[in-house]
Amino acid sequence: MKLRILLADDHEIVRRGLRALLEKREGWEVCGEAGDGREAVEKALQLKPDIVIVDIGMPNLNGLDTTRQLLQHDPQFKVIVLTITDSDQVIREALDAGARGFVLKSDAARDLVSAVEALQNKRMFFTPRVNDLVLAGFLEKGHALSRNEAPKLPTLTAREREITQLLAEGNSSKEVACLLNLSTKTVETHRSNIMRKLSFHSIRDLVVYAIKNNLIQIELPPPPPKTPAGPAPA
Amino acid sequence: MPIRILLVDDHPIVRQGLKTLLEGRAGWEVIGEASDGAEAVEKAKDLNPDVMVLDVTMPKMNGLEACRLLRRLAPELEILFVTQHDSPQMMREAIEAGARGYVVKSNAARDLLAAVEAVSQHRVFTALNGREAAGLG
Repeated sequence: MKLRILLADDHEIVRRGLRALLEKREGWEVCGEAGDGREAVEKALQLKPDIVIVDIGMPNLNGLDTTRQLLQHDPQFKVIVLTITDSDQVIREALDAGARGFVLKSDAARDLVSAVEALQNKRMFFTPRVNDLVLAGFLEKGHALSRNEAPKLPTLTAREREITQLLAEGNSSKEVACLLNLSTKTVETHRSNIMRKLSFHSIRDLVVYAIKNNLIQIELPPPPPKTPAGPAPA
Repeated sequence: MPIRILLVDDHPIVRQGLKTLLEGRAGWEVIGEASDGAEAVEKAKDLNPDVMVLDVTMPKMNGLEACRLLRRLAPELEILFVTQHDSPQMMREAIEAGARGYVVKSNAARDLLAAVEAVSQHRVFTALNGREAAGLG
């Protein structure tokens, strides 16, 4: 069965380039294209793609709001955000919106295929800078704790860690229940307990925790090829 | 009519998109690509294209500087800017730098083929958003 991808970018030339890149892969199909965020949401609901690739800077509805709307409609959507900037603010907003992949447009030719592969395998994909920011954000929280009286850190049970990992990997409560042979209600109870124990308010907090505690792996893009050394000086 | 085209843009994805559009025309061939102005000048000297499709904002050497240099080094080469800058001011600068054409990236799928055809015949082709394409003989 083909992997179906929806492309959303307001530049047709960029969509053509992305399509040419992605359709080189056997088994991958661009099932639709959208020129703005509203069209992206409509087409995603209609076509039910496996992966949605959204440009951040789109008219009518930007990529971040598109991501939020898609995930409000159906948390199962897997979204890769394409952006020309990897500023701290953009990264935080993309993570908060629920994007599972973050790729710089300038590096799309190098990274996008790896990003789609990662999401296809229920992993996340971020550029190294995003990884640094996520970890820095977690360390900042740790330092803030140590500045005051450090409370005893809550420990998760083995089952809670298992569920934390599966949730951070992008599985819904229902999918986790299926994987662990539990009822959905049980998983949701565990989920509430985990969030309460760790004082988390969003899935992003959970993801950061999972990365820091090696519960999930993050796909890194391959390093750029080394340029050959210049001629030796005379 | 065969046209040999050199593509210059710092985004490989954009170059790929331009290439798929251009090579849809029989006889048109993308003979090379460059990702900055300096590389564009070198490749123009090596490959001797008929038309260069050139971005403005690029590292090392921007498109306007490359265009001015190429006007002296390769006077036969026709240059078409394909750029994000939807600005009459930038378009004027591009034409003054020696370009024959100016198209906005958001409309490239609509305007590029006509623009390349026009500049290859030494006609001016300019099109900004909301304005009709201007082709002058």
